[in-house]
Amino acid sequence: MDKQIVGGLLLTAFLFGQTTINPDFSVIGDLIIDQSEDEIGLSSAGIEMVIQGYVNPFARADVYIHKHNDESALELEEAVITIERGLPLGLGLRAGKFRPDIGKINKDHAHLFPFIQAPKSMANILGEEFWSPTGLEGSILLPLPWYTKLSIGYFDEGFGGHKHMLNDKSNEDDDYQGKDEEEGLSNGVLSGRWSHFIDLNDVTHLEVGASGYSGDEKSLLGADLKFKWRPDKYRSLTIQGEVFQLNENREAHENDLNSQYDEENDKVKIIGYTFINYQFNKAWNMGLIGDFSTFDISDDEEDKYVDKSNYNFALFFGYSPVEESSVLRIRIAPDGDDINLMAQLIWSLGPHKPHRY
Amino acid sequence: MKKAIILLILFSFLFGKVTVVTSTTDLADIVKQVGGDRVMVTSIARGNQDPHYVEILPSYMMKVRKADIYFMVGLELDLWAQYIIDGSRNRKLEVVDCSVEINKMEVPIGKVDASMGDIHQFGNPHYWLDPENGKLIARIITRKLSALDVEGQEYYNNKLADFEQRVDLALEKWESQFSNLVGKKIIFYHNSWPYFAARFGLKTVDFLEPKPGITPSPSKLNQIIQLIKSNDIELIASETYFSDRVPKFIATKTSVKTVMLAQSVGALDGVVSYFDLFETNLRILSKAYGLEND
Repeated sequence: MDKQIVGGLLLTAFLFGQTTINPDFSVIGDLIIDQSEDEIGLSSAGIEMVIQGYVNPFARADVYIHKHNDESALELEEAVITIERGLPLGLGLRAGKFRPDIGKINKDHAHLFPFIQAPKSMANILGEEFWSPTGLEGSILLPLPWYTKLSIGYFDEGFGGHKHMLNDKSNEDDDYQGKDEEEGLSNGVLSGRWSHFIDLNDVTHLEVGASGYSGDEKSLLGADLKFKWRPDKYRSLTIQGEVFQLNENREAHENDLNSQYDEENDKVKIIGYTFINYQFNKAWNMGLIGDFSTFDISDDEEDKYVDKSNYNFALFFGYSPVEESSVLRIRIAPDGDDINLMAQLIWSLGPHKPHRY
Repeated sequence: MKKAIILLILFSFLFGKVTVVTSTTDLADIVKQVGGDRVMVTSIARGNQDPHYVEILPSYMMKVRKADIYFMVGLELDLWAQYIIDGSRNRKLEVVDCSVEINKMEVPIGKVDASMGDIHQFGNPHYWLDPENGKLIARIITRKLSALDVEGQEYYNNKLADFEQRVDLALEKWESQFSNLVGKKIIFYHNSWPYFAARFGLKTVDFLEPKPGITPSPSKLNQIIQLIKSNDIELIASETYFSDRVPKFIATKTSVKTVMLAQSVGALDGVVSYFDLFETNLRILSKAYGLEND
């Protein structure tokens, strides 16, 4: 992982070394207060450092480095060069380590969510920090009257393998390193998404997408939807959801990474989430999120194959006193017979702030 | 044959135009004024929208995708435009910053950081709220349209001359008709109005926002209430995209009047052109101060 960080920084230095203009540099940090069963814990989802800028008139580079908590090492989350200007036929290209265009939520960093925790079922499938492999992705804006984009990418590893690396063990603990390498072993995967964005009127918009993924051990089909109504600066309503059907070859996964795909051994998993978020004045928003899976999503590896429907719900509130530079979020969720209360304070330094749709 | 000729004329009429996208409705109207029938123009931000914060929608990228020129306000007001321009993947697009020839106000001296609020390091970006700056914007737009549509050069120059003449006449009329606004004390919600206030002689005493972009705090409201009482300030004016809750609260504690001014074309009913913007705002102010120039 250290090599990845050094590689990312070298890429940054190389890319921006040809200009005298510095790139934008931002830091986003947080503090989490977690209350459950009369215990109160303080933690942090970590610090995210972001370096962004134009490399030349045609290409932009974005580098995200994440330190998850005190005990974890720095991780290179994304180091990607994007070419959107200058290519013919509405083509775009991304290359490097980045979050592929699959589903709706995978591309978003956690601080962009209106809630604290990512839907558990999605994190279980895509990985704790979602799917961010190394690869190449091409996209095209299709010549239709509305915005419609088709993306197809080829990547070095499938999703679900990401685990946070511990600081002192990253170079010493052979077992851990072996696991990480093992999870990276793959012949490469293909993924894609076809999305459509439609203006229902000046202030109401609908986005729908269909995603697909194919690797040695897994294949996936997904559908996503986002509806947003923003009549003015003080009010907005967002409804977003997506559902994945994951076909997983359990035998191949467990025993032989090089075995052939065998439909008889397929395990079908259905996961999904939906949330509704209402901003009711300049600073406040509230909402409800629910997610589900058709299998057990406990941390026990073996239990992942147990057919057991899971449902999770949480209420969330957000308060942004000073634009997007600081946000307080509160999450209330059932936890067995108890109620789990969580609060998160996010701050951002620099120009990287959530503006994108 | 006749049908074919009609179709050809219709085709050239529809597709022979220069397609322009602007960040704001004010720039769009000035493009209309100097571009006339030779341009098709659309704006990204709506007139009643806060131009500092525009959500980057894919449909905006579609608008820019078909455009020949994008006119932006600059001075870091429409930073969001860059994402829309990139996302449009329009290779032929020419991007023009309309602020380049403006004599900027409130350019900060020394280090600028977020402790100063949402401050613009290259100067206050609300420069279109001075009609003289409207003429400078129109000249930049005319130059660009003429460069891209060489056949229309004379047409654009004539339209520019006409626009400048109309601005001069209107300004002369406004400065005379609303001369009694000179020296009038006013509190604005946000610092959008230094160019407007300087042109028409208003005396800006304070802002409801403690710092640009920062929501008014209770202590700031107390301070404003004291300021109004001790200085006999008659008026608070705010942009249409702000809630009127805070100004009305202050009005309940003092004798101050509150008004909403159009910060852009389309922000208020009846403000459909760049000229309406000034005419309407000056009338609103004049009426609020009890000067009654109707």
